[in-house]
Amino acid sequence: MTAQLRRRLRVALLVAIAVLYGLSVPWYRAGGSDTGTLWGLPTWVTVAVACYGIVAVLNALAWWLTEIPDHPEDGD
Amino acid sequence: MTLGALGVVGLGVYLVLLIGIAVAARLARRDASAGDHFLAGRELGVFVLFLTLYATAYSGNSLLGYPGEAYRRGFSWVMSVGFMMSIIVCFHMLAPKLRPVAIARGFVTPGDWVRHRFAGERGEHPLRLGVAVLMLIALANFLFAQLKAMGVLTAQVTGGLVSYEVGVIVLAAMILFYETIGGMRAVAWTDAAQGILMVVGLAALLGWLLGDAGGISALTRDVAAMRPDAVRVPDVTERMNWASTIVLLGVASVVYPQAIQRVYAARSGVALRRAFALMTFMPLTTTLVVLLIGLAAIPRFEALGVVEADRVMPLLLGIWAEAGTLQLAAAAVVFFGALAAIMSTADSVLLSLGSIAAEDFRHRHRSGTDAALGKGIAAGVMIAMAGLALAARDVTLWGLIELKMELLIQCAPAFLLALHWRRLRADAAFAGLAVGCVVAVVGVMLDAKRIGGVHIGVIGLAVNLTIAWLGSLGRTTSR
Repeated sequence: MTAQLRRRLRVALLVAIAVLYGLSVPWYRAGGSDTGTLWGLPTWVTVAVACYGIVAVLNALAWWLTEIPDHPEDGD
Repeated sequence: MTLGALGVVGLGVYLVLLIGIAVAARLARRDASAGDHFLAGRELGVFVLFLTLYATAYSGNSLLGYPGEAYRRGFSWVMSVGFMMSIIVCFHMLAPKLRPVAIARGFVTPGDWVRHRFAGERGEHPLRLGVAVLMLIALANFLFAQLKAMGVLTAQVTGGLVSYEVGVIVLAAMILFYETIGGMRAVAWTDAAQGILMVVGLAALLGWLLGDAGGISALTRDVAAMRPDAVRVPDVTERMNWASTIVLLGVASVVYPQAIQRVYAARSGVALRRAFALMTFMPLTTTLVVLLIGLAAIPRFEALGVVEADRVMPLLLGIWAEAGTLQLAAAAVVFFGALAAIMSTADSVLLSLGSIAAEDFRHRHRSGTDAALGKGIAAGVMIAMAGLALAARDVTLWGLIELKMELLIQCAPAFLLALHWRRLRADAAFAGLAVGCVVAVVGVMLDAKRIGGVHIGVIGLAVNLTIAWLGSLGRTTSR
């Protein structure tokens, strides 16, 4: 995988993580409403946990793609 | 044997073990330099680095404060899983750029970065001092929270055989001895063991609680029956607070001095990114588990009346220990895992505090930070915070976290913006930091800690960034 492709993939993953963070908060539900349960938890909680689970996987991938050089690049 | 008696015996054994580890770490040191004492000779590999990051991030706040918040707020505390994960996401903004410069220049303290980045600029000195003062306030606050947590946990789990006051004093003395003798090497070694202990113990406690409640569905039903608001969708203010907390904790935690110093202490960049990749899963195995534990306390304690938030976890451990011999042993494992995590966090805080106090207030950089001076200052602060922990017991751990983060987040532009935007000027960054702090402090003093659910510190950061940006526009940079 080329360095440029790694960088682009990493950025795409970080953007996806930001979107998932936005979705994890139940903006789309009426405050005080009872949403029923999904997999034993209130539905809005299950959605949040699922978002964070996906974030964990994407973030691990993003770190896998991240270059942390042990020497400063030219110009730094 | 009761948990109280087992707790006292185990505590004695544990303290002896700590002395042994500190002495072993002392014997393993290469030299008396600050780099060896404060950064373990920059030799932390993936496994130890991961566990030391883990044990440092998941401290007394997470183990005692978070179950209490889950108990108070209900299911909306699922936000804690998000904000603990956001810390590892936000490290993308810091570690890849800071690490290579830090290694090349031999940084030991966060202030070394400020000194290097803004060298020769007007405003560098006040900016470095401002950052150092905020970090010291945050570290002292953090230390206070750990001491408080140690006292609460020890008193509860030993059944009062060791009082809160004795717990604070004895354990604070042990930490001081341990940090002075062993440095970061000793901290990292014990972190590795306690990290494992903590994950295993929490999973066992959750398993027992869920088994006792009849599963997650039954737990949710019980919570809904006891406190219907705890399962309902939070209102707009609480949702805004959810988003705000993710920003506050994510950004502020990245500029934690001890977190920055672990970026410096990694053996290599590869070890660092692998440790972060592992760390990103830990909120699912720790914070989510702690959330469910706190929720399980609602049906148990609601009928008893209001339970002090920070005592939820110790009370649960006490009930668990009475369920049988196996449960008693497992409760003891959780207790010592939690105690070890708290003590280790306090160790790390003391290390950072000593290094910043010894180095970052100097006008000029000296080769070789004075480790002895740092240790002396750390000892003074430890004694002061132990005294405070004995006197001020009515503040919650979560309250302390929020207060600390509101100020610490104001340091973020000096690191995160400075790493990514070459035009940022020291005087503009300092002006932003100063105004951001004023906003946060005035908000706290006027009891306006949140506006529409948004933390005053996050609002202060927005003002801070705007000033830093506007103040740097249209000016050339020498770098």
